[in-house]
Formats: sequence, C-alpha cells, structure tokens
Amino acid sequence: MFKAIVSAETLTSALDSVSVLVDECKIHLEEDGLEIRAVDPANVGMVDLSLDAAAFESYEADGGLIGVDLSRLEDIAGMAESGQLIQLELDEETRKLHIQIDGLEYTLALIDPDSIRQEPDIPDLDLPAEVILEGKDVNRSVTAADMVSDHIALGVDEGEEFFYVDAEGDTDDVHLELTQEDLIDLQLGPAHSLFSLDYLKDMNKAIPSDTEVTLDLGEEFPVKIYFGFGEGQGQVTYMLAPRIQSD
Amino acid sequence: MSDWTETYRPTTLSEVRGNNKARDNLEEWAKTWDDHREAVIVHGSPGVGKTSAAHALANDMGWPVMELNASDSRGADVIERVAGEASKSGTLTGGESGRRLVILDEADNFHGNADYGGSREVTRVVKEANQPVVLVANEFYDMSNSLRNACETIEFRDVSKRSIVPVLRDICRREGVEFEEEALEKIAESTSGDLRSAVNDLQAVAEEAERLTADDVVTSERDRTEGIFDFLDALIKEEDAEGALRASYDVDETPDELLNWIEDNVPKDYAGEELADAYGYLSNADRWLGRVRATQNYSFWRYATDNMTAGVAASRREEKGGWTRYGPPSYWSKLGRTKGTRNTRDAIAERIAEREGTSVATARREVLPYLSAMTHHCRNRDLTVRMAATYDLDESELSFVTGSGKDTNKVQSIVEDAEDLLEEEAVEHSGSAFFDAGDTDSSVGGEPDEGTESEAAQRDGQATLASTADGDESTSGTNAAAASDGTTDDDETGNRDETDDGQSGLNDFF
Repeated sequence: MFKAIVSAETLTSALDSVSVLVDECKIHLEEDGLEIRAVDPANVGMVDLSLDAAAFESYEADGGLIGVDLSRLEDIAGMAESGQLIQLELDEETRKLHIQIDGLEYTLALIDPDSIRQEPDIPDLDLPAEVILEGKDVNRSVTAADMVSDHIALGVDEGEEFFYVDAEGDTDDVHLELTQEDLIDLQLGPAHSLFSLDYLKDMNKAIPSDTEVTLDLGEEFPVKIYFGFGEGQGQVTYMLAPRIQSD
Repeated sequence: MSDWTETYRPTTLSEVRGNNKARDNLEEWAKTWDDHREAVIVHGSPGVGKTSAAHALANDMGWPVMELNASDSRGADVIERVAGEASKSGTLTGGESGRRLVILDEADNFHGNADYGGSREVTRVVKEANQPVVLVANEFYDMSNSLRNACETIEFRDVSKRSIVPVLRDICRREGVEFEEEALEKIAESTSGDLRSAVNDLQAVAEEAERLTADDVVTSERDRTEGIFDFLDALIKEEDAEGALRASYDVDETPDELLNWIEDNVPKDYAGEELADAYGYLSNADRWLGRVRATQNYSFWRYATDNMTAGVAASRREEKGGWTRYGPPSYWSKLGRTKGTRNTRDAIAERIAEREGTSVATARREVLPYLSAMTHHCRNRDLTVRMAATYDLDESELSFVTGSGKDTNKVQSIVEDAEDLLEEEAVEHSGSAFFDAGDTDSSVGGEPDEGTESEAAQRDGQATLASTADGDESTSGTNAAAASDGTTDDDETGNRDETDDGQSGLNDFF
C-alpha cells in the first residue's frame, strides 16, 4: 500500500538527483519515507537518497518496493507547475502507479524490480578530511574546471589549512583555493584525489546552489558528497570513485 | 522453473569445467595483472564457459564487475562513458588501489548503426585502461588487428564429452532427477562441445520425464553455423554436388555474398576447363541473383545457390588437396578503389548521352570505347580537340578517354584548343543568329564538324520544331534561337542538342 501527496519541487529534486546516475531505479516505500539507492552502469558513482515522510503533505506506506523508469516519472512531474501538489498512489493489483496533478491523471507502468541492476552496498569508508561549503562554490569549481579538463583534483592542504580544486588541461590550468573563511567548515586531514568531471558535473546539477554541501575526502579514495533538500527533510549522499592517476 | 544454466553457473573458477588450462591461464593473468597491466581476450565457441569464467574470476579475486554485453546499446559514446570510465576509475570501496574487472561481452559483435564506432572505441578503452579488462568473443579474427595485438589471448576450447557428462550428472543429483548414464552421454554427444546447450537440453528433457532414459533424449542435432572458410574448403576440395549444397545451408551468408566469396577463391584451386565450367555455373548463379533483384522473388535464390555450390563442386575434375589461403571477396574493395574512375566515366557518358540522344548505358558501352580507340593517346589531335570541345571535357576526363597523362602538356594544350574552338564557334553561330536571319542551314554549314550530317538534319528539324512550338511559322533564325533559348535545358521533348549554335551565341552576348 502506498499513497502520498507531495509538492512538485520536492519530488523533482529527489528524482533529478537520482536520474543523473541511472535511468531506472528501485524505490523503497518505507513507513517513515522513501529510500532510493543506485549505482551507475560503470560502477563508479553511487547515490543514496532518503526522503522523510515529513517532506510529504501526506504519506502512507507499508514497506513495498517498486521499480520505475526515472525519465518517464520526471516528465510527468515536470507537468506540474511550481507549488502544485502531486498525488501518487500505487495499484498493487496491476502494478501501476497512479499519478494525479490537478485533475490530470497519469497511469505509469512500473518495472519489475528484479530486472533493475542490484542496489549497491554502501561502503563504510573512513575519510579523514571534511569540507563544508555552499552549493554555489561547488558549482563554481566544477564549471571552471570543466573549461580545461575532463578530470579534477580535490584536496586539502593541511599546512596552509585550505581546501583546493585543481584541474590540469593540455594547455590551460585551473586552480581554486578556499580557506576557512570561504568555507562553512573545514576539518583538516590528508586528502588528495582525482575525479571524473563528467560525473561531478552531473551531480552538481542536482545540488541546489543555496544549500550546504559536505565533502568527505581522503587520499586516492572515493569522495562522499552529501546535502539536504526539500526543507531539510530529504538527504542525498553521492559517492564517486577516484580516477586512477596514471603516470 | 529457473534456468539451470543460471542456477548452476560456476561461482568460482575451480567450478569451471573443461578448459582447465585456459582457466589457469586466466587466473594467472589476473594475479599478475599489476605487473603487465594488459587486457585479455577470451575466445572460443558459444557455451563453453567464457563469460562464466570471467565472472567467476572476478568473484575469486573479490573484484567488482562492470559488464557491457550485446543487449546494451554499444555505440562509441556509451562505451566511452561506461567502459571507459570504469576502466579508468578506482572502486567505491577500495578507492584508487581497488581493482574492478571490466567485462566486454561479445567484443567481436558490433551491430551496424546502433553500435557505430563501437569496435574502435573498444580498442581505445583497452589501450588506456587502468583496470583489468576481459574481452569475450566467439570469433577471434572478427576483431580488429590492433585490438588483438593490444591484448593477451586465451582460447577456450570446446568442452569434451568427458567433461560434460560429470556436470550433467552433478546437476541431476542436485535436482533429484533419476537418470541413466547413457542418457547423459547421449546429450553430451549431441551438443558437441557446447556445455550450455547440454545443460539446456538436460533441463528440457528432465522436465518431461520422471526418470531420464536414453530413449527420452531425442534432441536432434543443433544447427551450428559453419565458418565461411571451412565451407570454401569443403566446396572446392572435398564435397560432391549434394554435399556442397548441404554444407552451404549452415553458412551464415546471403547468396549474393556467398557468390562473391566463391568467385574470388575458386581460381586459387581450379584451373583450365574445370575453372571455365565453374565460372559458367557462377554466371548462371549471378543471372538468378539478377532475376531475384528484378522480380523481388526470393524463391529464385535456391537456383542461385544450387549453381554456385553444386555447380562448382560438380565442375571439379581432379582431386584437390593441401591448404589454400582463401581470402574475403575483393568485390567491394575493388568497387571502392575504382569509385573515382567510375565517376569520371559516368560523368563523361552522361554528357555524351545527352548530346547524342542515347541512354547513359549505351553511351558508356557503345560510344565511349570507340572514342577511346579513335583518340588513343591523342594521336589524332584534330579529332581529339573536337571531341573535347563537343563533350566539354576537362583535363582529367580527357586523360580518362585517351589514356594520356592528365598533367602532360599535350592534354592541357588540347583542352585549351578545345576551349578556343568553342569560342570561335560561338562567335560564328551568333553571327548567323544576328545577321543571317532565317537561315539555319548556313549556320550548320559553317560548323567545322564533319561526320555530323545526320545531326545537321536533326538540328534543322529541331529549329523548326522550336519555332512551331513558339506558334510562329515564319520566324527568322533569331526567333528560333530565342525560342530555343527559352527552352534551354528543359529538354522535355527528349530531343538532342537543341540548337546548340544559337544557344551559346546568345549566352555570349547577354
């Protein structure tokens, strides 16, 4: 059983943050909210999303599992104007999701969850450095780096106490330093890893510019990026495996 | 009921049956990967356990797997994004030192437009990879040379009957199926080396019967596609007419392709009269293919195949033996190589056809060769100049017709002379258009072109026609010329060179 009413903004930002990595996903309809976990086909990027029941206008569920085609669901959610409410109801018999937006009714055929790639186990990583910054600074770093290269180095200078972003292209380089004052918080630790910009660009799309973003970094280790959405009732965690630094 | 081939898929390398040596090589490759950092190609017949071995290997090594197989779309962009990223990145759990196994299944099969650029991208991924990559393929030689050279190679051979039977026996025990040993042997026998088919057959039979007996096993021989090279060997050296025809049923080529293959390779072994006979049959086959194309009646294919297989086999007069290096048909590459020449030829033929009122095919077949012979190496210079002027040939076209080099002074001077001649004629004819009113004949007479009497007659009629069309019987040549100017290039009546003289003259003055 699943029946919920949610604002269009909350639903689209939740879907957007998952659809940058995968086309299809499983959604856990838990009693206290939605949960989505997915890993991209290359096994390089992972997303873990939870949306608390409190983020919904009304929410009723009893622990079901559905598989959805994300681009379809996004298109439907896109039909709603800002501020409109979207009503979702699962028909257990036909395995279809009924969606209502102000009189518009859409019946979405669901995908067999078994046919969707397995959900990843969330690796338990001990990342020494933590950087908390504003979404717009992430956007600025990624956009600048994208002008010169296809990969980006994120790291923390323990001596000088700053967080840096490095991108080396064939001819041009980009370097950005953010000190304690520019950041919301910085926890020093040894950190320097290289990442694919393609993925960071996609993830960046889902990060609201006015939100607090936390980056957990290590040396040649995956990065963990988390931020909240939907008035703090939703939480997204991205993980991205590092590029191997070839010599 | 779930698929037994999935249920009993090996989870570790030690469970992979048959191919012990290949299995050990694969393990060795993985264990020493940090030293050599090369990709590996695992190839062999379908169903012998290549993909299973790759997955089992990843499981043994504790490596996460990224697999791309034929059911995914595999265009260059997808391969770059997915396989490229996977082979250049560390893992989510181990970071940069973490290993991941990238498995590219069916690496020899990239389909047409959907997978455009796929195989080239695979080569790039393999060369730039920082993670172990396994390419799984059926046909080793279907992969590009550069790809094969960039990788280590491990061959999986067909699984012997001796290895298949224990696998089947094991499955029967675990599924609780009673069986006769002979039944298992019969299954193993009939699948000839394909372990996956054997397991599928076993499941199919076991679902029907309580107890497996040899009589239950009626699975007939599976269709197997035969390689084109084996077929050529059979056709040209071994089989009689009927055998050759039967062998062709297992070949995965259309008759059009097959004809090219046979036609290109028969002369490597046949000689003299038998070769002549063989080509006789091949030409019959080609005519049937022509009929198929013309009528779209594909049932004619059977006669084409009869001729090209049974006919060729029956033409053989003596024993053939040894090994011959058969090659792929050169038909397409020849077409590609001669494209430029053929385009020149067609361009000339089109102009001849337009001027002489023939079809392009006729111009090509019945006019062009004579022109070539008459102006061979520009020996008859006057004639060559006039030809160049008449058909408006440039250097390269003239060199094509005469066989003289394109850059030689001779050819260039002829083209220049031809241009002068055209100009001269233009002035002359325009003169007749403006001063010699009403007399088309005189303008024709003034043309320094022998051997065009019939044309002159035609042209005469032409002018009248044009003026009739104009609805003005008594018009002068000027009017006729003007009328023909109006119908320039319209050519609706399909008639030849409409008052070519009046035409160019007016153009010059306007």
